[in-house]
Amino acid sequence: MKLLTMLAVEGKMMLWSLKRYMFNTVAMVAVMFLIFMGMFWGIKTIGGSGVTGESLDSMLVGYILWVSAMLALGNTGTEILSESQRGTLEQLYLSPLGAHKIFFFRALVNIVFNFIIITIMLYLSMAATGRWMNVNLLYLYLMVLISTLSLVGVSFMMGGLGLIHKKISSVNGILSFGLIGLMLLPTYPLTPYAFLPFIAGAAAVRNSIVLGTSFPIWWYLFITANSLFYMIIGLIIFKKMEAKAKRLNKMNQY
Amino acid sequence: MAENCIRVQNLLKSYKDLTAVNNISFDVRKGEILGILGPNGSGKTTTLKSILGLIEFDSGSVEVNNLSIKKQRNDILKSVGAVLEGARNIYWHLTPMENLAYFAGIRGLSKRDIAERAEYLLDSLKLSDVANKEVRQFSAGMKQKCALACSFIHDPSILLLDEPTLGLDVEITRTIMTWLRHVVEKEGKTIVITSHNMDFVESICERILIIRKGEIVSHETVKSLKEKFSKKHFLIDLAEEPQSTLMDRISTLGEASLSDKTLRIELKTVESLIPLMKAIEESGVRMLNFRTVENDLEDIFLEVIKEGKQ
Repeated sequence: MKLLTMLAVEGKMMLWSLKRYMFNTVAMVAVMFLIFMGMFWGIKTIGGSGVTGESLDSMLVGYILWVSAMLALGNTGTEILSESQRGTLEQLYLSPLGAHKIFFFRALVNIVFNFIIITIMLYLSMAATGRWMNVNLLYLYLMVLISTLSLVGVSFMMGGLGLIHKKISSVNGILSFGLIGLMLLPTYPLTPYAFLPFIAGAAAVRNSIVLGTSFPIWWYLFITANSLFYMIIGLIIFKKMEAKAKRLNKMNQY
Repeated sequence: MAENCIRVQNLLKSYKDLTAVNNISFDVRKGEILGILGPNGSGKTTTLKSILGLIEFDSGSVEVNNLSIKKQRNDILKSVGAVLEGARNIYWHLTPMENLAYFAGIRGLSKRDIAERAEYLLDSLKLSDVANKEVRQFSAGMKQKCALACSFIHDPSILLLDEPTLGLDVEITRTIMTWLRHVVEKEGKTIVITSHNMDFVESICERILIIRKGEIVSHETVKSLKEKFSKKHFLIDLAEEPQSTLMDRISTLGEASLSDKTLRIELKTVESLIPLMKAIEESGVRMLNFRTVENDLEDIFLEVIKEGKQ
């Protein structure tokens, strides 16, 4: 019950912050849409008639997945660092329920918020390109939730490292852009790339929506296990770094 | 004697070649306000953070309500609140009401659970009128009061405050002082405060712990500290600057110094007062004013720190 209250208040925190920073949120969606349109027109111009509808669909879904990955990857690590720089981190550490739970719930709320962003982006982009796909939103949300959990784990690692080493924004940037390339790698049936975080889930979503490919249940179980693995590893590393930060008195950095 | 609610024993914390806290021990009694004084870098904040388990100490033990901070930290945190680094401890883009709801929520308390308490805190700290305004618009004092309210939202029995009046004006300091006194006297809370504000500490704390270079150099009640270290000295305003012969003569009577035309002297014995008057009279310098001054907590603090021992 207490954990549900904590989850609910993280949801409220998201709404309060959105209300205060509404312009920022709208600007973020607008910039993402403009980037997509830039890519779309670029590909149309260079590829000409060689660009098929399928490859455009693939680009659109890939971009949506990359946006959700980027938002998930940047979230926890950035949140921990900004709390630390703001001076509120130590107050979160005074919660008897545990600060890592606060950040985990904050990440969950963030993923749900990302559903709204990617849905807006998806329909805006489909309207702008004139390519309408039959997207099962429930499947999309569920797969994004499951596969981005692995990135939340990675983000926890980054947050933990950030507590000690202060600056992680450049690493976050490299990881975010590295994901674009990694998402193109083949993962099914069980290539070595499938063991990387997020990649297998993203490929499954893309192939399922664009090509209508159906995957066996074990593949979805594998994707879930992959996410849980990175989530657990992320939390373990975060707790280790947190203990080190407490030893070195580095919880606050302002 | 009241029961102890915080027990710190042989606390040691060091970083590479710096010992921040060196084997200190002290207790805090239920229902008291303990002040921790010390120069910058003396180990005050490290001590507070060790009590809260925000810093992992090297050796020693910290017990709060008979629970070990190393083993039962989460249970301890249910009954402890803290304001560390002042108003930075709250979210400036939220309102006081939202801050209260958030800090209650991360402790598992819903808005319904804290409705009455939030109203009481906002009212008693005179924040009701601004309960729905963004904290970023507030003065430093109001932000600090909001941080205090947030640290108190779960009704803790112990409150740890790090420099609660730093940078605040006299009026806000007084409001905070009155409020803290109220929660101790009426609600039976226990408070530990670190501060540089001697007047504040003197008027609110029963006992004072003075730390220097990570070591306790004094641990007494304000009253006994003053009794032990209190010294009377005389301030004599003269009409003109005296000649050095007068200073030579009176320096045999006690420790004397001259600032502008004011002579400050701490006599060795009360009997020296008559020779002092005589010496001034014979020097031909007119005496304008004569007063006795007792050294305040700041003087005592400086003396204790200087000596580094009781």
